[in-house]
Amino acid sequence: MSEMERDGLNESISRRELLLRAGRGSAYLGVMSLLAACGVEGQRAEDTTEREPLPPQAGELVMANWPLYIDKSGPTSPTVTSFEEQHGIDMSYKVVINDNEEFFGTIREPLSQGQSAGYDIIVMTDWMIDKMERLGYLEPLHHDRLPNFADNALPKFKDPIYDPGNAHSIPWAAGITGIGYDISETGRELTSVNDLFDPAFAGRVGMFLEMRDTFDLVLLSMGVEPADATIEQVEQAQKILLDNRENIRGFYGNDYADQLATGNLIASMAWSGDIFALQLDNPNLRFVIPEEGGNAWTDNMAIPAGAEHPTDAHLFMDYVYDPRIAANITEWVWYESPVAGVQQIVQEDVAEGGPGYLKKLAESTLVFPTPETEANTHPYKALEEEEEQVWNDLFQQVIQG
Amino acid sequence: MAYWLLLPGGLWLLLFYVIPTVSMLSISLQEGTLEQGYRLTWNLGIYGEVLLAHDTQILRSLGYGLITTVVCLLIAYPLSYTIAIRGGRWKNVLLFLVILPFFVSFIIRTLSWKFVLADEGIFLGALKSLGVLGEDFRLLGTATAVLGGLIYGFLPFMALPLYVSLEKMDPSLLDAASDLYSSRVSAFLRVTLPLSLPGIFAGTLLTFIPATGDFINAQILGGPNQTMIGNVIQREYLTNNDFPEAAALSFLLMAAILFGIFLYARAIGTEELTG
Repeated sequence: MSEMERDGLNESISRRELLLRAGRGSAYLGVMSLLAACGVEGQRAEDTTEREPLPPQAGELVMANWPLYIDKSGPTSPTVTSFEEQHGIDMSYKVVINDNEEFFGTIREPLSQGQSAGYDIIVMTDWMIDKMERLGYLEPLHHDRLPNFADNALPKFKDPIYDPGNAHSIPWAAGITGIGYDISETGRELTSVNDLFDPAFAGRVGMFLEMRDTFDLVLLSMGVEPADATIEQVEQAQKILLDNRENIRGFYGNDYADQLATGNLIASMAWSGDIFALQLDNPNLRFVIPEEGGNAWTDNMAIPAGAEHPTDAHLFMDYVYDPRIAANITEWVWYESPVAGVQQIVQEDVAEGGPGYLKKLAESTLVFPTPETEANTHPYKALEEEEEQVWNDLFQQVIQG
Repeated sequence: MAYWLLLPGGLWLLLFYVIPTVSMLSISLQEGTLEQGYRLTWNLGIYGEVLLAHDTQILRSLGYGLITTVVCLLIAYPLSYTIAIRGGRWKNVLLFLVILPFFVSFIIRTLSWKFVLADEGIFLGALKSLGVLGEDFRLLGTATAVLGGLIYGFLPFMALPLYVSLEKMDPSLLDAASDLYSSRVSAFLRVTLPLSLPGIFAGTLLTFIPATGDFINAQILGGPNQTMIGNVIQREYLTNNDFPEAAALSFLLMAAILFGIFLYARAIGTEELTG
């Protein structure tokens, strides 16, 4: 091999090496920029109150709601049917919400992409309304389209702290988180969250999968007002739950009700109205607000950002603020109605000889709270994002066993 | 040179495996919140954090996956053997029966188990009223129920590959073995078992990987003490919106499974598998 040839060989090797190195370098840079490009945009919404003008009525409406949360007659709801007839709207009422966080998880992706989540009205609890509003996931409401709400909503349901001026939501119903139990199985009255930890009930007690419900109720049992709770107190609440894990069968959404009804659970954290509905089948079921206090919450109708039929949504939201319609719903769901005059209508229905259970409803201090009931119920703590993450991490340790 | 035939598969792999994996790796190294957004900060410490916070669930999942695989193998081997060797004209019918449960959704089947195994349900309720079981006996919310659900759900994934490898076997090999004075046991150990190794390997992969990552059975049939790593990932992602933690856990799970399978393949020997 001549000098020249060898030189040429060397040169070609070094050139190849150079190319290889350049290739590796750019691949490295490519991967780095690819990794960085995977960042997720922040979703905190700009503070805008400007409202787009509403489109014309579409004749279609899709609503997502919780189980047992509207009047029923066979497979349909009289309220939905009469609304469809009155406004010529084809309404699809879907019972798809079992738990705020779980449902939010299913609609978050399209909402974060600015796409329709497929629902025109969703019913979410007060704190979730606050969270979704902060993320810009809710359409501002057109109150000029909600005259019944302006006229008939009870004052305490207007301008709530979680949604000032009802800018993005109006209430559907309100209720209380307390304790439900089957007295024939427990053999005694339960009056406190601590009763759920009676060793005799090992493995037969349910709690809520929603972090706020479970933590706030335990905080109350410790004598702590949830709104003032510190991280240390939440850690104490976590310890109480961990120490009593042998008693806890599971953590549930709305499905706790089935578990109580089938007897897998004999006691559970519970939502006030559900137990009344179940009592029709099992008169041994009881609901009690714990002595130390229960959580008061409000579920609200809201229009997710990018909803396809916002005009029709406003029509329905206002329709259920007609006191007669609201009373029909209340007589079925047994939760507190945000509409004035419902109690009188229920009493009139009792006087006209309605079904026997209506009398009990008309007198219920849970559905029509007295000042004493209200004194013993407490709102959730409004959590900032960082605080919510800390609470979530503490709760994760509780539910993962 | 027909390497270009690999192109469709390669593109598929790039689009649905390489890119998602890289993006998952990236998300695991980010920090932030839903409102503020997530930024890449090379937060490698998260891997240690999630490992410490969820070590019980990771080990439990690997344990459940292992038990499921072993029990499925013990049940499926005689089953597949019988169908393949002695099935005769009933072969197809028997095989169809193995696949039959697939015609109903996995979730519906698991929910049916919840109904069947309820504390006061048709099965336990009857045994309790007969006095066979104590009043407090329960299956739901125990490891037995979750493992039962997993084994039930993944049995066909073990049985089918086993059947395929056993069906291929030439029965005259066993005659030859006995002609050469082999006992039935040693014929099984030295002829049948080695020939069915590819089936055992394929069945193990198809059972162990999805069973370890499963969260449906633990969610429906289990209680807090049966939480698997799949449940944790699902909740971190969907409920807590802690994307980095969910991504890091998914990555760790993938790594653990790949490592386990690598060891397993080495132990069996690769020539046996392609044979």
